[in-house]
Amino acid sequence: MYCFLRFSILLVGLIVSAGSYAVNAAQPLTTADDLGPKVEQPIEFPHDRHAGDAAKGGMQINCMYCHTYARRSIVAGIPPLQKCIGCHQNIESVRETPRIKKLFEYWEAKKAVPWKKVHDLPDFVRFNHERHIQRFVFAQNKPVQEACGYCHGDVKTMTVARRQKPLSMGWCVSCHQKDHPVDATSTKTTHGPNDCWQCHK
Amino acid sequence: MIENSFNRRGFLKVLGWGGATVALSGCGNTSVEDGREFVTSYVQTADYIIPSIGTYFNSTCAQCDAGCGIMGRVREGRVLKLEGNPKSSINNGKMCGLGQAGVQAHYNPDRIREPLLRNGDKGEAIPWGKALELINEKIGGVKAENIAFLTGGVSGHVKALLKNYLDALGSGHHYVYEAVAPSIMRAANRKTYGVEMPRLRLDKAKVVVSFGADFLGAWISPVHFSQQYARFRKADNGERGVLVQVESKMTLTGANADRWLAIRPGTEGILALGLINALAAAGLSVPGDVAAVVREYTTDRVSKDTGVSAEHIGRLAALLKERSPSLVIAGSAAEGYAHGSQNATAIALLNQVLGNVGKTVEAPSSIPFPQMAPSTGNRFALQSLNDNMAQDKVKVLFSYGVNPVFTAPASMKLKENLKKVPFKVVFAHYMDETALEADLVLPLNSALEDWATVMPEYVAEGAQLNIQQPLMEKLYPGTLGMGDILLALLKQRRPDEYKGYEDFYSYLRSAMVSNKGALGGSTTDDDTFWDATLSHGVVKLVSTPVNMSGNVSAKGLVVPGPFAEDSAYPFHLIPAVSASLRDGRNANEPWLQESPDPLTTIVWDSWVEMHPKTAAKLGIVEGDIVEVASRSGAIKAQVYVFTGIHPDVISVPLGYGHEAMGRYAKGVGVNAFKILDPVFDKETGELAMHETRVKVSKAGRRVVIVKDEGPAGGNQMGRKIAVRVSSNKVNLSEEV
Ligand code: SF4
Repeated sequence: MYCFLRFSILLVGLIVSAGSYAVNAAQPLTTADDLGPKVEQPIEFPHDRHAGDAAKGGMQINCMYCHTYARRSIVAGIPPLQKCIGCHQNIESVRETPRIKKLFEYWEAKKAVPWKKVHDLPDFVRFNHERHIQRFVFAQNKPVQEACGYCHGDVKTMTVARRQKPLSMGWCVSCHQKDHPVDATSTKTTHGPNDCWQCHK
Repeated sequence: MIENSFNRRGFLKVLGWGGATVALSGCGNTSVEDGREFVTSYVQTADYIIPSIGTYFNSTCAQCDAGCGIMGRVREGRVLKLEGNPKSSINNGKMCGLGQAGVQAHYNPDRIREPLLRNGDKGEAIPWGKALELINEKIGGVKAENIAFLTGGVSGHVKALLKNYLDALGSGHHYVYEAVAPSIMRAANRKTYGVEMPRLRLDKAKVVVSFGADFLGAWISPVHFSQQYARFRKADNGERGVLVQVESKMTLTGANADRWLAIRPGTEGILALGLINALAAAGLSVPGDVAAVVREYTTDRVSKDTGVSAEHIGRLAALLKERSPSLVIAGSAAEGYAHGSQNATAIALLNQVLGNVGKTVEAPSSIPFPQMAPSTGNRFALQSLNDNMAQDKVKVLFSYGVNPVFTAPASMKLKENLKKVPFKVVFAHYMDETALEADLVLPLNSALEDWATVMPEYVAEGAQLNIQQPLMEKLYPGTLGMGDILLALLKQRRPDEYKGYEDFYSYLRSAMVSNKGALGGSTTDDDTFWDATLSHGVVKLVSTPVNMSGNVSAKGLVVPGPFAEDSAYPFHLIPAVSASLRDGRNANEPWLQESPDPLTTIVWDSWVEMHPKTAAKLGIVEGDIVEVASRSGAIKAQVYVFTGIHPDVISVPLGYGHEAMGRYAKGVGVNAFKILDPVFDKETGELAMHETRVKVSKAGRRVVIVKDEGPAGGNQMGRKIAVRVSSNKVNLSEEV
């Protein structure tokens, strides 16, 4: 039953997206081709374990607990190692697992974990996390995971994150052209900025 | 001409292709660095460190000796841009272009990255431990009096450590050398005011007469003077100050003056005395002995000697009489002669007669920690070191913060004399001309990754100690700060005294904290005091104004007449100090090479500045390559024809013409230091920088000068951007 429901939602999603594709002749939304390369990370970080649903063994941690800079900076940032350790020094149960052992090795050597970039834009594009998070999460009261998911996909189901969307200009614009309410209660709508210099400064 | 191997067009082509590749990979659906680049992540960080948002840390600019306070914008652990520190009374939050290029000294690709020991023609990388041990060994083998330390201007805790090290060695031979410094003026000031560097208050003056002091460009503390100048021009009472610049070659300050007077080189003192005479004639009370001396300097004679018209002398005297207080400044152009001291004294006398002392010439403040007070340098120091080397009296030589092989005139034969020194240690950032002669090269941290304290020579208010602190981690693990090296050397000599300090930082912290009472921290605990000190970047010291004791007497003041004609070498050479290149120590910072000279707009090369009349007489046009030959040598460079220069004078900027140092400096332009004649100021023994006589001859080729201005000073296409009025249409009686 559960499986079936999910499947049908996916189907609806596909049809809707196909429909909007046909009507707006915009860039396609997520397709298999939009997946970014598989990025190998020094530690295979389990996003699903940290952010996933409780029903599936996840901890349901808010994205912004670790990616704390997203709401106040143009980049979301990687949390400092001290944040990982802050929790993990009190979680004895996984202390001896290979990934956590590796984590503590970095900590003891006082070396930052050399995480690789998964989402990157060309240098002539200036994407601002703060603007999006402030708009969707704080003004419109959207769930954090949904707001982040517009661009990052369903990270809570992944281990190491992988790019899910094309992040091309056409794809950005397809969203910026959509009307959305200015805030959670208002009936007034607006759409994302359309000026070149918003992103190309 | 850029004579080195890279050709500009080829360079641009390569850049174009590179750019295209990057752009292509950036288009389409691929993100550029997915899975390749690393994300900045920290082990531990303060809450205020947010990726992509700059954090500012205060430090001190080390690009020139003015010691402005700076704030470095640091992002993701890298320093990106420098601004002025508003807390520093020297620059009040402003900076100059030279200071801005400080980041290029830091990120410079030609920095030395590890200690190098000479092995034949090559430098072999060796570990620091071995390098320091080698120094210890060499020093042990010679007598203390045969050890010499040559440095640029030093101050603060590095100076204190250096002195302790020299004491520990038992050698007092510390030579402080500055290639371009107002040392004759300092001596004259000491005589006339009792202090070397009185405070000049342009902002309080109603008229400023500057004898070749380029205080807006390259003189002493240009950012500070520029701010004073702004207040002088737009005073609170609405009265606009009048600036008259008297010099033989137009400087940036000259270009800003209300009246620029081209004076025959070397006759500045005559004009000053002539002005006193004219003022006395106009009724200003002048002491009897002064009046007696200046009596013979009648306007007619002065006009004949100096080339300044009698009309202008009269007008200048009237202006000075009418508007008081005024300020008269003796700059490098006045002091650069064998009679430079007399010129400077005559100019100081004019200040005295005008009653400016105490009004616009103020007493500086006492310095509470004399062991940290700045040691200022001169050229005489290099001369005496050179003599000692020639007589084999120097066995071990240390050189820090100077590049004498580049800045010494060829006639000194410094390079040959250096060869007589068996062991030479050079502390350096680049393999410059002096480092190439060394036996051991020790690479220094850049100013943006080093600890130090700096006490500038010219401080605007009170006394001040500047903090220089790292704005980011060291780029190369193999470099060390000067303080750290001195501390390590001191540990060899006085282990008991210094072993408690792990590094220079811990020494500095404990030295500062243990004196916190005198540094304004008596009521705070150590950590709070130290944190506040670092966050402010400057420490105000408790001090009182010193007494200005000296007195100018006209007795014995003889200013020689104008130079006799020299038919073999008809022109005076003025080696110009430009605002960005100064003595050439920053020549490997490409922004400085690329930023156009403010007056000629020339980039990436030297030039020979010449009056149109002179050029016509010699049959020379712009772009001709000429040979400029003095009795001591010759250089070749392109001619730039410019009206802002006396017809008897030609001028070549300093700082160009490096034979080493790095990719941006090497082979660009010619080195004017080399052809300076060995003429010295009679009183101080200083090299007289403006005494060199030269001849000019065409060398055959002609080039297109690379400069920003268009033909004929910029084609305005009828837009009246800068309106010109021909001189016969100007009503001179309304002008200064
Ligand atoms: S005047 Fe000197 S110290 Fe001040 S900003 Fe310019 S280069 Fe730096």
